[in-house]
Amino acid sequence: MSLELVFQQALNGLSFGALLFILASGLSLVFGMMDVVNLAHGAFYMLGAYVALSVVQLTGSFWLAMLAAPLALALLGLVLEPLLLRRLRGRHLDQVLVTIGASLVIVDVIGLLWGRDVRSLSAPPGLDGSVTLIGGVYPVYRLFVIAFGVALAVAMSVVYRRTKIGMLIRAGVGDAEMLGALGVNTNRLFASTFATGAALAGLAGVIAAPVFGVQPGMDTDPGLLYSLVVVVVGGLGTLSGAVAGSLLVGPADTFGKVLFQDVALAVIFAIVALVLLLKPTGLLGRIRVAR
Amino acid sequence: MGGFVKNDLAAKRGYTYRLTRRQFLVATSAATLAACAPGAVTPSASSSAAPGKAIKIGLLLPFSGVYAELGTSMRRATEFYLKQHDNKLANRPVTPVYADDANVTATGIAATQKFIDQDQVDVMMGVVPTPLAYGIRNAVHAAKLIFIDTNAGGNALTRDTTNCTPSCKSPYIFRASFSSYQISYPIGDYLSAKGTKEFFLAYANYGFGTESAADFTTGLKKNGGTTTGNVAPPLGNADFAPFVTQIKNQPTKNVYSFFSGADAIGFIKSWNSLGLPAAGYKMYGAGFLTEQDVLKEVKELANGAITSLFWAVELDNAENKKFVADFQKQYPLLPDVFTVQQYDGMRALDEALKALGGDTSDKDKFVKALEDVSFKSPRGDFAFDKATHNPIQDIYIREVKTQNGQTVNTISDKIAKVTDPGK
Amino acid sequence: MRPLVRWALVAAAAVALVTFPYWSAPWESTRFATTLLRDALVLAIFALSLDLLVGRAGMPSLGHAAFFGAGAYAAGIAGQRLATDQLPITLGAAALVAALLALVIGVLVVRSEGIFFLMLTLALAQIVFAIAFQWTAVTGGSNGLSGVGRPMLATLDFSSPDLMYVLVAITFVAAAFLVWGLARSPYGRALIGVRENERRMRALGYDTARLRLSAFVLAGTIAGIAGALSAYSTRFVSAQDAGLGNSVRAFVTVLVGGAGTLGGPIAGSALVSVIERVVPSLLPVELRISEAILGLVFIAFVLFARQGMVGLGRQTWLRVRSR
Repeated sequence: MSLELVFQQALNGLSFGALLFILASGLSLVFGMMDVVNLAHGAFYMLGAYVALSVVQLTGSFWLAMLAAPLALALLGLVLEPLLLRRLRGRHLDQVLVTIGASLVIVDVIGLLWGRDVRSLSAPPGLDGSVTLIGGVYPVYRLFVIAFGVALAVAMSVVYRRTKIGMLIRAGVGDAEMLGALGVNTNRLFASTFATGAALAGLAGVIAAPVFGVQPGMDTDPGLLYSLVVVVVGGLGTLSGAVAGSLLVGPADTFGKVLFQDVALAVIFAIVALVLLLKPTGLLGRIRVAR
Repeated sequence: MGGFVKNDLAAKRGYTYRLTRRQFLVATSAATLAACAPGAVTPSASSSAAPGKAIKIGLLLPFSGVYAELGTSMRRATEFYLKQHDNKLANRPVTPVYADDANVTATGIAATQKFIDQDQVDVMMGVVPTPLAYGIRNAVHAAKLIFIDTNAGGNALTRDTTNCTPSCKSPYIFRASFSSYQISYPIGDYLSAKGTKEFFLAYANYGFGTESAADFTTGLKKNGGTTTGNVAPPLGNADFAPFVTQIKNQPTKNVYSFFSGADAIGFIKSWNSLGLPAAGYKMYGAGFLTEQDVLKEVKELANGAITSLFWAVELDNAENKKFVADFQKQYPLLPDVFTVQQYDGMRALDEALKALGGDTSDKDKFVKALEDVSFKSPRGDFAFDKATHNPIQDIYIREVKTQNGQTVNTISDKIAKVTDPGK
Repeated sequence: MRPLVRWALVAAAAVALVTFPYWSAPWESTRFATTLLRDALVLAIFALSLDLLVGRAGMPSLGHAAFFGAGAYAAGIAGQRLATDQLPITLGAAALVAALLALVIGVLVVRSEGIFFLMLTLALAQIVFAIAFQWTAVTGGSNGLSGVGRPMLATLDFSSPDLMYVLVAITFVAAAFLVWGLARSPYGRALIGVRENERRMRALGYDTARLRLSAFVLAGTIAGIAGALSAYSTRFVSAQDAGLGNSVRAFVTVLVGGAGTLGGPIAGSALVSVIERVVPSLLPVELRISEAILGLVFIAFVLFARQGMVGLGRQTWLRVRSR
């Protein structure tokens, strides 16, 4: 591989990693706060993409879709958390199971409402051009994705560390019961967290659409599979874990698929296996105290 | 309940208690199972005033999963044909029985067994993925069920192979679509004969992709052409940028590509966003790379791509012009190649039934009648190769152009009467 | 109910199950119910093996289909490469290959827990799937392995629908008996101990890692036999047999039926088979909602009947008995 080629593939890997981070951030947040692995996360991502399709079709505006899809998913999250998860508080495995059921329903509903054709979304005008970099032309949209990913990570970090809501979340991660005893409305907190996780999944659906496309099956591949890979590899439930996970998996998958073509299907799973075997709780994971 | 049955029914019928109970159980289970059989629930048209007995066609198509769009298209084609023919094939009203394989081979094999055992269909049609076609081949052959494959293009299905691996032809299996050889070898031969001899390959890394790339390469080699390397993304790949970047960093400008559906859309979008057209790279491929399902999404991004297929919307013959016009009157869409495949399958069945006078009782006569069909299809002259049961068809060299606001495949040349070698 | 009576009933049920094609022939001439029941029983064997891990040992594996697929391929390939159709050889190959694969993977995963165990089993199984999908020379690749031979025992050919069913049903009864026996044995209780409180088990002197590994290998072996039976049923092996979809299917079956019980995987297989095979033919084909139905059933069970169908059945039985 020439140096130019390496540089271009590195950019591909970084932009792919940024998309993975945006996709995985919601899953990480919900797990970190509520100890729930939301297996409907991929379905939320898919729903966000399809909502974006309709918004763009109706209004022509990609930016509007970037607002509408997360909003729609947040609403769905606010409905689903009390409906399905609240009464299973403390029964973590059951919460996981109920999210599997929810994802099956959501995916079929999407098929009914939007049909099962393969669709696509274009990058918005303004971001659909290319710039000349080392090695030639590179799409502006992928650079935007990198910038957006970084901005999102910074924003989430600021909220987490410097705002009241972030403090509440950190406290909830530590000891939700105590938080409730201190008079915080944990029901509302958990519902909002779940809604935020869903909104982030919906946002990922919009932003990733020009790259990953919009089609049946996207809830599992790339949706849930890639989010799980990033979150588990990075270390469950922490923002820095999600960042570390995407920074590793993005470039590793990009280079791995191209260098080891015959086993490209397996590369991402080989990465997971390797990391978990070397560091059983993920790169930045810590052993969590059983609740 | 026991008391009533024992005294009343038992007394009326003279049965013992035990026998009545078993009869009750048997009856309810049979009723439940019968209720599950669509064949039993669908009103049979045979009792109406129609001249012939209803013919049951089992259609195994994907209605969920990544190929759902193709299943919908092929179902539409079936309904379109039936609508044009008063829901009859020859003198026989048609009872279609649909089953969803959901792109899971095991589900499709089970559905086929149900067609054979429970629905007892007269003919089977459909099947989108090649692994499924290979998977049901033996069951269909053993049951002597006439099966008209209206998509799956794996070469082996209509060939003589050693040990029937990965599959082999059967007298009862006909194909109304194509063999992947037919859409890959001729264009390799054509391009290398015209002087374009060096190609880089890009194809989805699964059976269909590798087969197409291999057949194209054989076509190239016939006239001294060569391939200089390949990229083979996994099937269903999410991000095509790494692979297109590899293409951009090698010198061979002519790239033969095999992708379909979502993969094709992702590949073509990446190809453009990474600036390959401006850098002088030219895209060639098998027809599915630029079929309607892809073009409706990528539109002018595909302009200039040269592909080979046995049909295009723009094909200028009387039958096709009428077909496209009538289809658009019925549905607000352009027909696609999957529509044509299924439509031609229905037509072939119709012609065979006409020749038989509607009598499908003799399997060998049925097979012979299908072998003898010959008609003008939207794709041109249609006939089955008697040796392989694969269609003998013209292959068109097409180029993607945007004209009148629509992006379509325009025909630039034709390779007449291509047959599959059969081994 | 006296133990002898209960035993007699179970034996009678087993005999009825195994001879189903014969006594159902008058009203089941189409063999559809036989085929449906056969496939449900294959799923039940697969689910029983997974329940050993999920229900009893507390090891939530999402990669169990790797062993199912390995067994299926081994049976088909052994039959073809060794030019034999004899079941002892092909089933033996299936069990051996599945066991070896389970040993290799088991050694790697046995020290993980919870979500990490889940992801690790998923990832390693996906690697197995990728190998099956790409290694065309050995497995047939994405086109699958066709031409799986006839299951034969000496001169007895099991490939007819009725006999194939009998073969599957007998294997199912054997597997159920094995799992039942295991659950009652000290070994089975030790597994439950590991699930409930591993630290205490270790303090008591049990080698918990070896216990989990043995459970993993045993479960994998039984899954491999289920896979071989599936290969003989359809005479075809698809790469999807080792794929994530198949793993999830088994996982869902165990949980809906009731994890950790004998009847659970069996009830779950019946329900899943009905939803998959029968429901779609009842609905118009444009209305593809069988996944949504499965999802709703799943949610309902988790919210209202956590012990699955078996638990629900038990509750109802207790309520009826107390009247």
